[in-house]
Amino acid sequence: MDVSFLFGQFLGGLTTAMFLFLIASGLSLVFGVMRVLNFAHGSFYMIGAYLAWQAMQWLEPTLHRFWLAALVAALGVALLGAVIERVLLRHLYGREELYQLLFTYALVLILGDAAKAIWGTQQLSVSRPPLLAGGLDILGTTLPTYNLFIMLIGPAIAVAAWLLLTRSNAGRLVRAAALDREMLGALGANVGAIYTGMFVVSSFLAGLAGALVTPIQSIVPGMDVEIIVEAFIVVVIGGLGSFWGTFWGSVIYGQVLSFGILVFPSFSIFSVFALMAVILIVRPWGLFGRPIR
Amino acid sequence: MRLRGPTLAQRVPWTLVVFLAALSVPFLGSRYDVFLATQIAISALFAVSLNLLLGTTGLVSFGHVAYFGIGSYVCGILMKTYGVPFSLALPAAALGSAGFALVVGFFCVRLIKIYFAMLTLAFSQIVWAICFKWNEVTGGDQGLPDVPYPNLDWIAAIPGFDGLRIGGQFYVLALIVVAISLAAMRRIVASPFGRVLTTIRENPERAAFIGVNVRRYELAAFVVAGGFAGIAGALFGIFNRGVFADYVYWPKSAEVMIMTILGGMQYFWGPVVGAATLVLLNQQITSYTQYWPFVLGVILLVLLFVFPGGIVGGIAVGVARLRRRSWRRLGA
Amino acid sequence: MSRCRILAAACLAACLAPFAAGAESTIKIGFPMPLSGPAAVYGAPVTKGAEMAVQEINAHGGVLGHKLELLERDSKASADEAVRLARELIIKDNVDFLVGTLTSAEAPAVSTIAKENRIVFIAPTSKSVQLTSPKNLHPYLFRLASNTDIEGHSAASIIAGWKEVKRVAIIAPDYAYGRDAVAAFIGYLKKARPDIQIVDQQWPKLGQSDFTPFITAQMGTHPDAIFCDVYGGDFVTFAKQAGPLGYFKAVNNRLVDGGEVGTTDEAQALGADYPYGIWSDAYDPVIWAGDEPPEHKAFIEHLKAFTHEKYGSGWAIMGYSAIVALTDAIKKANSTDSDKVSKSLLGLTFDTPVGKRTFNAKTHETEMGEFWGQMVKGEHYPFAIISNPKYLAVGPFTD
Repeated sequence: MDVSFLFGQFLGGLTTAMFLFLIASGLSLVFGVMRVLNFAHGSFYMIGAYLAWQAMQWLEPTLHRFWLAALVAALGVALLGAVIERVLLRHLYGREELYQLLFTYALVLILGDAAKAIWGTQQLSVSRPPLLAGGLDILGTTLPTYNLFIMLIGPAIAVAAWLLLTRSNAGRLVRAAALDREMLGALGANVGAIYTGMFVVSSFLAGLAGALVTPIQSIVPGMDVEIIVEAFIVVVIGGLGSFWGTFWGSVIYGQVLSFGILVFPSFSIFSVFALMAVILIVRPWGLFGRPIR
Repeated sequence: MRLRGPTLAQRVPWTLVVFLAALSVPFLGSRYDVFLATQIAISALFAVSLNLLLGTTGLVSFGHVAYFGIGSYVCGILMKTYGVPFSLALPAAALGSAGFALVVGFFCVRLIKIYFAMLTLAFSQIVWAICFKWNEVTGGDQGLPDVPYPNLDWIAAIPGFDGLRIGGQFYVLALIVVAISLAAMRRIVASPFGRVLTTIRENPERAAFIGVNVRRYELAAFVVAGGFAGIAGALFGIFNRGVFADYVYWPKSAEVMIMTILGGMQYFWGPVVGAATLVLLNQQITSYTQYWPFVLGVILLVLLFVFPGGIVGGIAVGVARLRRRSWRRLGA
Repeated sequence: MSRCRILAAACLAACLAPFAAGAESTIKIGFPMPLSGPAAVYGAPVTKGAEMAVQEINAHGGVLGHKLELLERDSKASADEAVRLARELIIKDNVDFLVGTLTSAEAPAVSTIAKENRIVFIAPTSKSVQLTSPKNLHPYLFRLASNTDIEGHSAASIIAGWKEVKRVAIIAPDYAYGRDAVAAFIGYLKKARPDIQIVDQQWPKLGQSDFTPFITAQMGTHPDAIFCDVYGGDFVTFAKQAGPLGYFKAVNNRLVDGGEVGTTDEAQALGADYPYGIWSDAYDPVIWAGDEPPEHKAFIEHLKAFTHEKYGSGWAIMGYSAIVALTDAIKKANSTDSDKVSKSLLGLTFDTPVGKRTFNAKTHETEMGEFWGQMVKGEHYPFAIISNPKYLAVGPFTD
């Protein structure tokens, strides 16, 4: 086992990690602020992927059409999120968490079938954008430029979100809303608008993640139900409601998966579940979360 | 004012009537009716076991399917791989599920509300991963097909039951197991223990204040619910002629939750109604359209926004209104 | 106690519900097959083939004076779903026969249902040897497909022919098909080339969406050649991720895939992303290199007209032949009774577009082989085709 090989494995894990972070970040934001576990986040991700594919069919084959398609997909899903939040979800905020959970599950059912009705049940796929079709040789391993792009966009989103949350006025309100919704409302802040904004940002991230995944994964019914489990594991490992926890959670997930496959090939995906089990037993609130109760 | 005695409707032992009606299905109905009725009976047990947490104790467990799955795997593995008779495999399934629920519950009751829900979901996914990856024992991705039927000779020996097909005989066995389990749960809910659970649901702080060890009671409810879910799982594995990892995948947890609130989680029999309604509805709708999940999603939305009390809740409100009106008419 | 009344009503409804099934005189064939998800890349064309056979046979007056009716259901490549559908097809729809299932997870599960209900079940594509092992074989089960022993043998014979190869790695889906094919492959390879070392085995799941860590881990063991059993939609994902990582280049394209990624269906799904130069197989190469048998030519022409597609499918033949074999057996038995049809299937020889096949009376299998070869850019086709396909039933591959 040489160093370049371990480095390659590390890079593979990091690609997986940053992809997952793109998805899990939105899930974590909504959970952290609104205390809603949004099962439909995976469905938004899937719709984003389908929308990107659709936009690719409509757009002229120019050099940059993939980026335009990704933007269309992200904005489309953000709009969908806005409508869902304003029309339906907001009526459930005062209700028990059971109703919110089942509401997002109802969305999973409806959006999943809607996607099947619109785009069919066959697997679809999108080619890599020509700009990022190549690969780089780093320390003796090949790193596809598209994977490098994903590795960079993950931290970029993390830093952007962190700056937004800590340095901006809106961010302060969001953090306040996460801590005490009633108090903030009593102080005259428009909590409803904050929640809507949060949900839209989260939907946008899901749609973007869905679009960006299309060049290296296939678009297929059922991807919604599967990805939400992975995103959920990341959020649980990192800590419930902790944004940076989600970031490090995805990094850990990626590396444990990657090196788990290397050391125990027959375990493959089981390693991350084992990790989650250990963390839940030692710290049920996750690595970066805070204990409740 | 005149004290009203029990009306005719109240004097009828309805549980017995329903049991006898259910028992008559294999004699009066087709094979497919028996198929549906078995599904309803097992789902009803599963949903009522969940309601022990959801409705009675106020614990939102989103991983209840784990105990169902463990029950079906324990029973399936014992019966298929080791040839253990059903009379031992069934209690083993219940104990296995309850034991695992004890371990998981120990960690989960430390958290509240949505965190509790997430933790139960996380543990159920771990169970799924084990079932999915432990090829040597669980069969992994392809599961354990061909779980044998239990020895049903004693049912065939009952006069009048000998003409039943094997599916019908198993239905009778399942119905008896389900009826006994439901009766046991009914007693548990009505017992002092059950009343403490209700107190915890209503107000956990007050319960703690009057000296109840809330966590311990919640854990106990969790274990009992897990055990009964295991019984349902064991029956289902045999009914479905095989045990598969899909049983433990998270959407199944949502499904049983929908059954529970569709029927009405404030009522003991609510989940039974919910299970029957959902199974029959599924059967009807899938013969018209392949988009059953879409229909289910819409039903769920209507339920959440319009009838949060479920079917039984809605009917209870309606009946109360009718009764008030008839009282008023009597008074006039 | 009014709640109980609803319960009673519900139970009564259950009793009275379905008496709808009429007494039509069609012969009903239940057809559970993955029509959504990654396995649908194969499942959909198999279904098309079956539909075409039914249409052809019905146009000629059906069988024994009855029309055939195909009841298609989406099994989603899940054993649980396939079992549920098979039971519903038998109990609710009263099908006379079962044909279908794609994966070796679904087929053994459905086989137990067929056995219990004494209904003939023909598996057109499942390859795992476990399906028809003496322990699992029963009078009603028949396999049209090849099996994992034949596949493993054929693939091993190709790799064994590469003298410079010393280190072989394996990647296969973690379920019956992958595990049995890999066991057979290793067994034959060890015999043919004791000098070859198996350096790595990776087991992604069926429906894996991210293969990257598997690929990089495998590349780290520096294999000279790879035996791969990833197939269908999964292979599309796999190839898209492996290509840019330099996976195929690292072994000089010496990758042998036994999962029919040589079919036109797979090649069209991947398009330009296809890893040209690898080796694979197909039940029907569609594009014939040398003298094309007239019945194959006619079949492909008919198929193209039937599906309104420009190119034929390499999978349709399996759905088509399964229905043809079943029909022949019904004719021979002069009955639709499964007990009689299962007897007439024993030793039955029937026509397929690529030649005659026979159900071995002892193993209930056709033990058919497949067409193997290297995947190259076709001159007249915008996708990869098998160059100079060779039919291998018992191996070894000689070139």
